[in-house]
Amino acid sequence: MSPVAVACRGVEKTFGTGAAATQALRGIDLDVAYGELLMLVGPSGSGKTTLVSVIAALLPQDRGDCLVLGQDLRAMGKKDRALFRGRSMGFVFQAFNLLPALDATENVSLPLIIAGQRRRDAQKVAADLLDLVGLGGRAHARPRELSGGQQQRVAIARALVHKPKLILCDEPTSNLDHDSGQAIMDLLIHTARAPDRAVVVVTHDPRIFGFADRLARIEDGRIVRTDSPRPAPAPGGQA
Amino acid sequence: MIRVALTMLRGDSSKFIGLVVGIAFASFLVAFASAFFAGFMTRGFSLISENPEADVWVMDPAVQSVEQTVNLPSSALSRVRSVAGVVWAAPMALGKADARFANGSIQSFDVIGVDDITLAGAPAASATVTEGLRLPQAAIVDAGGTEGKLQTPVSTADQWPQDGPHLDAPTRELRAGDELLLNNHRVRIVGHSHTLPRFPPRPLLYMSLANADRILPPGRHRITFVLVSAAKGVDPQNLAQRIHDQTGLRARSTEDFKTDTVRWYLVNSEDVGDMGAMMSLAASVGFGVTAVMLFMFTTDHLRQYAVIKAMGATTRQIVLMVFAQASAVAVLGTGIGMGVCVVVGTIAARGGYPFRLMWFAPAAGGLMVAIISVLAALISVRPAVRLEPGVVFSSR
Repeated sequence: MSPVAVACRGVEKTFGTGAAATQALRGIDLDVAYGELLMLVGPSGSGKTTLVSVIAALLPQDRGDCLVLGQDLRAMGKKDRALFRGRSMGFVFQAFNLLPALDATENVSLPLIIAGQRRRDAQKVAADLLDLVGLGGRAHARPRELSGGQQQRVAIARALVHKPKLILCDEPTSNLDHDSGQAIMDLLIHTARAPDRAVVVVTHDPRIFGFADRLARIEDGRIVRTDSPRPAPAPGGQA
Repeated sequence: MIRVALTMLRGDSSKFIGLVVGIAFASFLVAFASAFFAGFMTRGFSLISENPEADVWVMDPAVQSVEQTVNLPSSALSRVRSVAGVVWAAPMALGKADARFANGSIQSFDVIGVDDITLAGAPAASATVTEGLRLPQAAIVDAGGTEGKLQTPVSTADQWPQDGPHLDAPTRELRAGDELLLNNHRVRIVGHSHTLPRFPPRPLLYMSLANADRILPPGRHRITFVLVSAAKGVDPQNLAQRIHDQTGLRARSTEDFKTDTVRWYLVNSEDVGDMGAMMSLAASVGFGVTAVMLFMFTTDHLRQYAVIKAMGATTRQIVLMVFAQASAVAVLGTGIGMGVCVVVGTIAARGGYPFRLMWFAPAAGGLMVAIISVLAALISVRPAVRLEPGVVFSSR
């Protein structure tokens, strides 16, 4: 296994053309190690989301190299990128992005269903994950019947259900109050972090910076500083 | 993924209902129009249907349907009777005549002259009424699918007035004993029959061939059809071919003549175009409603599709989901539309409307819905397929 889950070198991305062109990423160099929880922090419009979109194989970079879980994203076609995402990545979104028509179990089982697993088997795994995140009793609740914190727990379970090697979280606590945000980060630390998995969290919520192994500060499309808010975990260790 | 797609569909109940109703409406209209058309066509060959004892119909070589009244020479009857396999052959005359009612009003009738001796071709009525056809100037009257066309004045003061027509006089339906004036011949009604309604609807007057010959405008020939009964064990189609070969006349088995008549209507009747326009309108409405609703459904759920794509769904899976949704509403809507069609059609048929649900009516409805659904799905799937899954991240 490669020692790093994500290795980006000189990544650039521009939106639009001509006078309307906006350079969102200006030569990003970034490594994320297995077992690490990295937070990408910075003001709005700094390029955090663009960078995480590139890492997530959702957006192709214009220049530079990005090896994710040992795969060169630029060499992949659209279908391969989709399959790679489905197999190797889990997502937690700011707006939860649960499918409102599906209940909690169905939402959690979705990545397994997409990967072609049988529904019954997928739902059994999903039910176990919901137990893990403390929502075993709400397995058949629809998203509208759950609080924001509960919805984000379902989203975390969904991100973990297919045992991905990379978890990408986009502002996971922005829509939550302080206590719920702290609880979600606790949950993320205790369920998502693993020696063979990397977690990248995009945030500008300073209240959760303390949960990171490393903070990568990004401004105007460049990583301006990388620091550790607390001692890094022992290699291969678990929090 | 199909189950997920269907759950998404059911989850948006207002659009789901809108889609199903749109499809149901389209399939109902198409199937109902088709069944109505089939009913009209069936009425088009009512004359053939109400003479089940005739296995073969013989006519002028140019005649293609019961609507065409090119007459045969009298000798045709004996030529047909001489063909082996013919048990009996009876003449039938068809003609049109304007009849004057007792109050002076005018109404066009189809006159059907039946064999004087056997009365073959006479309508089903009581024996007394049928036998009455043998009387001079006698006729049996039939509404022929019309309503209010057989009205004669109630009061004797309004009958055959000397001071001009009494068109506003109170009327009642014709009955036995009443008289009509056809081509300056008094015709006495001996009874009513209730034969199959006609298409186009028109009142009928059944009379003996001799009476018809006197009353209808003079012509060189009088017999329009020769009705033939085949001997036991003789195939009507074979007999028809034999009659044609030996007489040079056109001879068709009952079923073939019905088919000929329908084909003739399809080629020559302007009503076919009207029906086609109605079905096109139904399909257009159904397509419009369905396409718009399905497109709205898909675009309203683009973020959900983006999430699914971000989680690894391929384009094929997204296409499968949209088509599964379109198929589900198509099947459900078609089922409801057909069910409503059967219920409404049954009620319509009981009310005397020409509704006949044949195999092709549901098939036409189903085919139309399938086309509509595929087109709607093709239009709707585009934004979902072109969708950039990166939109799942909040700031983009």
